[in-house]
Amino acid sequence: MNAFAQFFAIGIISLTAAAGTYLIKGPPARLFVCDTAALKPGEICLSQVPADGAIVWVDARLRAEWQRNGLPGSVLWNLDPAEDNQAFEAEMAMRVLETPRAIVYCGDESCDLSHEIAQRINALDLGADVSVLKGGWRALSEAGRIPNLNLR
Amino acid sequence: MQKIVSLWLALACLAHAAGLEFTQASQELNAPADVASVTADFEFTNKSDKPIQIIKSDSGCSCVAVEISNGKLRYEPGESGLIRAKFDMGNFSGSVDKVIALWLDKDPEDKPSTVLKLRVNIPVLIALEPRTLKWDLGGKADPQTIEIKIIKGQTIKIIDVKSSSTDFTCQLKTLEEGKHYQLVVTPGDVASPGIAVIRIETDCPLPKHKTQQAFAVVRKP
Repeated sequence: MNAFAQFFAIGIISLTAAAGTYLIKGPPARLFVCDTAALKPGEICLSQVPADGAIVWVDARLRAEWQRNGLPGSVLWNLDPAEDNQAFEAEMAMRVLETPRAIVYCGDESCDLSHEIAQRINALDLGADVSVLKGGWRALSEAGRIPNLNLR
Repeated sequence: MQKIVSLWLALACLAHAAGLEFTQASQELNAPADVASVTADFEFTNKSDKPIQIIKSDSGCSCVAVEISNGKLRYEPGESGLIRAKFDMGNFSGSVDKVIALWLDKDPEDKPSTVLKLRVNIPVLIALEPRTLKWDLGGKADPQTIEIKIIKGQTIKIIDVKSSSTDFTCQLKTLEEGKHYQLVVTPGDVASPGIAVIRIETDCPLPKHKTQQAFAVVRKP
């Protein structure tokens, strides 16, 4: 058997195996997987968040998204120019005084906006322990933390 | 067989190495205080010998709008184009760093092959130092001071100071009208946790800078 035939045979076998797996097991699950080893500084996986811990959750998405399906009890802080940044600061200052642990989530898995908001919370210099949730809203949603809310 | 695999790997490496060449992949802009947005143009040329498709771009922030040569995404060898990043200054101040990631052809989802950098320097017209005053719970209720300095070349007067809590008293001292002030804050009680949001109203004509905010906190050490 020459090299081309071998290459062709390997290709056919691989494709057959892949098709069989797809038919038996179905399409691949695309759940968000948080790898703790790949976290950037300041990031946290949802699995690392204590279930019973007192946390101020900060939603960095747009107000409409937060109102539609934000985590219950979360506060809003985004960079929308139409929003009042000082109001965000004031509310966060009040909340952090009672609960000095804050976690920011965004709508996207690699949302840099969460880091920007975390930086702003730290800049308040209120001694808060601030993290960014890797996977953002998707991680919360897939973990069943977001109930179906139409109205806040 | 080995030759085929080697050839395939070599082609794969070539395809990955090919990319767009930018005249300035990193830019720094000094924004005037009175503008709402600034724009940075990143010019590029396809220096490879094959067409390149821009799959997507991401600035990671709703504050940066990215436009690619009026929507043109495919570039033939030698063809040039432009990435225009419009930064909405919103409520940013100071030095702000943003990155714009570009995914070309077969770039993996988590690894864009091109990353552009944008730094925008936004003047701080009114500087508060520090912005947060802290007292330890059960400690001494000594007065503390926030220095308020106006940027050089500007005259901005403080017209009012309001505290959200009567537990903290605020006294404004004018060192040089329109240029330099001190705000002395004294907590009435440090036996229990408390916070005051202090709003400093000025006559600055720019709405974004008109009201400044500081904090006074009594909290556990």
